Amino acid sequence: MLPTRRDLLEILARASALPGAAQFLAAWQSAGEHQHANNAPPEPPLLRDYQPQFFDAADFAALQSLCEILIPTDDTPGAREAHCAHFIDFLLHNADAVPQLQQQWRSGLASLQEAGFHAADAAGRAALVEAMARPERERGTTHPLYSVYRLVKQQNAFAFYTSRAGMIETLDYRGNSYNATFPACTHPEHHVV
Amino acid sequence: MATTYDVIVVGSGACGGWAAMELSRAGMKVLMLEAGAPVNQAKDFHHTFLYQMDYRGQGKPGMLRRYSGSERNYRIMIDSQENPYTTTPDTVYRWGRSRCLGGRTLHWARASDRMADYEFKAASRDGYGMDWPISYADLKPYYDRVESFIGVSAAMEGLPQFPDGVFLPPMGLTCAEAIFTAAAKSLAWPTTHRRLAQLTRIHNGRPSCHYCGNCVNGCDVGAMFSTVSTTLPPALKTGNLEVRTDCVAALVRMNSENRAQGVSYIERYTMRPVDVDAKYVVLAASTLENTRLLLLSAKGGLANSSGALGQYMMDQVGGGGVSGYLPKLKGGPSRLDDGKSAGITIPNFHNIDAKTQRQDFIRGYVMNATGGQTEFPQFAASLPGYGSAWKKEVKSRYVAQARVWIAGGEMLAQKENGVTLDPEVKDHWGIPVLKIHFQHCDNDRKIIADFQQKAEELFRKAGGEIMPGMERGGPTGFPGAPGSPDRPAEGAPARQRALGGSIHEVGTARMSASPKDGVLNSFCQTHDVENLYVFGGNAFVTSGDKHPTLTMMALTARGCDHLLERAQGKKV
Repeated sequence: MLPTRRDLLEILARASALPGAAQFLAAWQSAGEHQHANNAPPEPPLLRDYQPQFFDAADFAALQSLCEILIPTDDTPGAREAHCAHFIDFLLHNADAVPQLQQQWRSGLASLQEAGFHAADAAGRAALVEAMARPERERGTTHPLYSVYRLVKQQNAFAFYTSRAGMIETLDYRGNSYNATFPACTHPEHHVV
Repeated sequence: MATTYDVIVVGSGACGGWAAMELSRAGMKVLMLEAGAPVNQAKDFHHTFLYQMDYRGQGKPGMLRRYSGSERNYRIMIDSQENPYTTTPDTVYRWGRSRCLGGRTLHWARASDRMADYEFKAASRDGYGMDWPISYADLKPYYDRVESFIGVSAAMEGLPQFPDGVFLPPMGLTCAEAIFTAAAKSLAWPTTHRRLAQLTRIHNGRPSCHYCGNCVNGCDVGAMFSTVSTTLPPALKTGNLEVRTDCVAALVRMNSENRAQGVSYIERYTMRPVDVDAKYVVLAASTLENTRLLLLSAKGGLANSSGALGQYMMDQVGGGGVSGYLPKLKGGPSRLDDGKSAGITIPNFHNIDAKTQRQDFIRGYVMNATGGQTEFPQFAASLPGYGSAWKKEVKSRYVAQARVWIAGGEMLAQKENGVTLDPEVKDHWGIPVLKIHFQHCDNDRKIIADFQQKAEELFRKAGGEIMPGMERGGPTGFPGAPGSPDRPAEGAPARQRALGGSIHEVGTARMSASPKDGVLNSFCQTHDVENLYVFGGNAFVTSGDKHPTLTMMALTARGCDHLLERAQGKKV
């Protein structure tokens, strides 16, 4: 079994008084350094068991679909595994103090519905998203749903890359861990211009 | 009968903690008053991943407006509804504060630089303002003492403008830092490891850093310097220190012999007023809170025969900078780049001597550069596109992120910048609050402009590409997160950056050789009241371009020696 943080703290406290403590700890800790993805704690159950409370079923399904188009599941997890739409619903349900934020999302989803996103099939949705996103790639072009695209993209990216699926399983974030030494750059090509 | 203490220390931050330690070790009976709650680093601070928090660090929408912290650390920040301050109509100032045992040492950036003589004697060189009444030689032994005790990891460089000290080994450079170092060297600019009060080996009974990158959320093992980890334990061990938390100091009480009699405080929760007496009073409640207490303690301000109390406030210029990515690192493996939460420092190389004199501005600035993996890819939403291709591009740039920012640019001491008591607004305890007036001058703006140009030059030399929408990123934080450098102050016009973002506020009770020119003498003792000392940034005559905390602590150590000489009649 891997040692817990409490175990480590206790060992650190005891070891700091001993001669050779740093070397002992270095050897002891480096054993765990390469297992980081396993060591990152699991995601709490909040979103896994979450039922939408802010959006109605139709809007939530549309939002979920849009989130998954923007961040699809491929060789790494996507918005689906990260429960991005659930997080957005949770956030907005708890945003009583910021009614303008709630209103922005309600009208955003209403605009999407008016444009036919809710009723469209997969190909229709993909085509609409491509059109909505065009001003991002081509300066000077406009689309009435561009602001909705940006709103969802921004919050979806936040939801994804702050989730375990995004942060650990996709980006392999290494921080927030216990390390005996700091891994300095050892690449000669980085030390010259 | 009420106890009479030898010393009352108001505040428990870097200076309060140091003073309490020095004075209690010398045998004085010390009472420390802290306005906020007690803190236990092992119980209160944890490694927490963003996804373990309901709101991923941003707090319930709207909730964190009261704090300058994140969902992780807002409890060690101040509640601005209980502790308001006001500004003059033309001022946009964000005052980052803490009220808890340890104060801002619990979440500070740990940068520990020594000021150099060109900063203490700037007025003699360029004619603006006033020199400090002390030189580097006066402070050097105290810098040595503080560094030796708290532990500063750094490299010796032999640069006259960036004095070396008593250092622990520096942390290794990340790949991005190595690239920026090579780029700076090729431009013939000085560089060094960022000097940090963060242990690289076991030191004075504290464990070495474990490189989790969580420093500003509170260090759970005390590997970074804080009052709670470093100065408080030995002070408590003497048996001479009593700590009272949740006690809000309201004023310094004087007696008929023009001596400080003690301090009046209000119990935070019961609202009960309490008077405590002591032979000496030390204010170490943070720069502006110290000045507020002096303003509250007498009509026109206590120890203000000079009229300089509240004036000549400075911060350090900030803002701007360049963010993007380094193509050399794009697509590489994930690394522990943000584990040490550091960067490299490019010490000031302007206006140090005749050779480096600039025609367009006086004084100088320090730059920082860093890069690599971070907790959150802030650039992702700005990167055009979506789908699998976008996701892959995010990942490949994520490990190559890079940024250059201004660590500290000297802000000139202007008489008009400063604080007064607001005649109308009071805090939760009925104590009048500060009104802040603070503006940049032309020289400050020229420094920012020059920095921006140099930051881009360094970035280009490193082969970096600036990312769309990321030109003005800060060192950390998520988009618009409370406390992130890009977030405008509440009510600020769009895109206007609030001043005070450096959290390096200094001045307002500057030290001077003559009582006519300042509030404090060179030992941080007030010119007017013999048994009253003020430790913090108050004494600063110039802001310098260095991070100020180490200098504040060295001034505190020197002031404590002076106090002990007078109180105990012996040379320390």
